[in-house]
Amino acid sequence: MSEVKNKLDLLQWLGPDMSIKVLTHLDDPCDLVRVSTLSRSWHQFVIENGLCKHLCLKMFPELSGVGHVIEVENMIEPVSNMLGSSSNWECLKRNHKVYAFLACGLTPSISGNCISDAISASSTDNYPEESVLNTLDPRDRTDFRASYWSSKGESDPSVPETLVYKLTSKICLITEIHVQPFKAYFQPGLPIYSAKAVRFRMGRPKYPTELESAEVDDIIANHMFGGNLWTYTSPEFPMLQENCLQKFKLPEPVLCIGGVLQVELLGRVQKQEMDQLFYICISHVQVVGWPLLPAYDVKIHHPSGKCTLKYCPQTDCCMSPTRRGDSSSPSRLRNFTTSIMQRGVRRWEQILIAALLGPGAVVVDE
Amino acid sequence: MSGISDTERMITLKTVEGTLFDVKSSIAKDLKTVQAFIDDSDDDVTSPIPLPNVFTRELSRILDYLNNHHRFRSGIEKADEEMARYDAEFAKSMSHEELKALILAANYLNVKDLLEFLNQTVADVIQNKSVEFVRNFFGIENDYTPEEEEKLRNENEWAFNGVEQD
Repeated sequence: MSEVKNKLDLLQWLGPDMSIKVLTHLDDPCDLVRVSTLSRSWHQFVIENGLCKHLCLKMFPELSGVGHVIEVENMIEPVSNMLGSSSNWECLKRNHKVYAFLACGLTPSISGNCISDAISASSTDNYPEESVLNTLDPRDRTDFRASYWSSKGESDPSVPETLVYKLTSKICLITEIHVQPFKAYFQPGLPIYSAKAVRFRMGRPKYPTELESAEVDDIIANHMFGGNLWTYTSPEFPMLQENCLQKFKLPEPVLCIGGVLQVELLGRVQKQEMDQLFYICISHVQVVGWPLLPAYDVKIHHPSGKCTLKYCPQTDCCMSPTRRGDSSSPSRLRNFTTSIMQRGVRRWEQILIAALLGPGAVVVDE
Repeated sequence: MSGISDTERMITLKTVEGTLFDVKSSIAKDLKTVQAFIDDSDDDVTSPIPLPNVFTRELSRILDYLNNHHRFRSGIEKADEEMARYDAEFAKSMSHEELKALILAANYLNVKDLLEFLNQTVADVIQNKSVEFVRNFFGIENDYTPEEEEKLRNENEWAFNGVEQD
C-alpha cells in the first residue's frame, strides 16, 4: 500500500469512524454543508451520521432538549408509512437541513463586518477622492493617498450628515457599529474631523429595486432610490474627537430587515483653518453582526410595510403568499408575518425554535 | 525508581524500505498496533517488527512527535506552551500530501494522540475552502451531474459565501 493515489478517497481509507472524527473538528456549519456536497457518498455520510445536528448541539448544548422534541415529531410520520427506511432517510435529511440552518443562523461566533457596500453620503467635498467608498477601507491612507470621506464645509456646526450603507444580507442581526473619524495628518495641528455624536438607522429602500452602488453621487442616489424607510433608530452616542475606531454597541442586538444602514453624524466640532468652515471626515465604518442566512427570504408588502419572513428549508417547496399560520399544511414551508420592530436575540431564537417545533406557523403580530 | 528493564527495552521496527528504527518500549506503547503485536508474541520480540504499510518518512515523523511529547509530558511546567508551539510547527512543516500520508500511517499504527491532532489539522486545512479544493485534497471523485450540483449549491447558497478562492 503506497501513497495516496489521486482518485482514492482518503476518508474511505480511513473508514467511517475516523472520518467522523475529522469532520466533527469542523466548527463552522458552512464547512460541514459544503462537505456534504462533495459527492453522493459524502452527502449520504454527513446526513446519515447526523453531523449537522452534532455540530449544532456542540454549539448550543441548550438545544439538546429541543432536538429531542423535533425528532419525536418527525418520528410520527413513519408510523403511517410503510417504507420504514426511506422515511427514516427523509427524517435524517430534514434534520440535516434544519440543524445546519440553526447552527448558521444562531451562531454569534461568525459575526463580522456586515457592510457589503457604501451607497451614498449626504454631501461630499471632493468627489471622488473623498468619496464615502473610502470608509470601507480600514486604513486612513492607501499607497499614495489618504483614504477618508469628507462632508462639504458648513459655517453652521449643527448641520448633520448621513452615510448610507448596504449590508451583506437583507436580514442581519446587528450588535455594534464602529466609526473612526479622520485625523488630517497633512494639516497643521493634526485636526480630527469627528462629529459631536452619532446615531444609526436601519431599514430598507422604499422601492425594492436592486441596490446598485455604482453611483455614489449623492443626488442621483437619492433620486434613484426614492429614499429609505427606517424601521429602527438607535439612541445617540457621543463621539470622541480621537483618531481611533470608536465602538458603539447597540443596547440590544437589532434585526435589520431590508439591508440598509444609515450612520447619522450629528454636529460638527472641527473647523478647517483654510476656509474657517466646519467639516466632518470619517476614515472607516464597520457594522458588526451576522447575516441571518440561509432559507430566509424577505418579501416586503407595500404599502402596508409589513413583511413576510419566509423560512424555506427547501427551495423547491411551494411558495404560498402570506397566510396566517397554516397549521394543516405538512409542508416544510413556514410563513410567518412579523411586523417590523426591533427584536432582541432571545426573542428571535424563541420565534425560530417555536416555528420549527410546532406544526403550525408562529404568527407574531404586534 | 526507574531502571526497570521493561522501560529500557528497545524494540526494532522495520519500514517498507527496510530501514530499521530502534524504539524504546515506552514509546512503542503509543503505537498500539505494534504493542498488540508485542503482546501477542508473548513479549518475545528480538527480531525487527516489519511494518508493511509504513514508510520511513512517516515513521520518522511519528517517532519524532512521540518522543517530543513524552519529553514535554515528563518534564517542566511550561511544557504546555512548548508543546503547542511544537505542534504548530509540526503541522506547518508538512505538505498536504505528507499530511495525508502521515494520517494513514498513524491510523495503521493506531497512535491515538497523534491522530487526534492530525484530525484537527485536516479540519483546519479544509476550513473555509472551496468544494474543488476539498475534493482535490481528499481525492474524491465528483459523481454529481452538473445539474445536480447546481441544485445542491442553490439550496445551500448561504454556505458558499465567503469561501477562500483557490
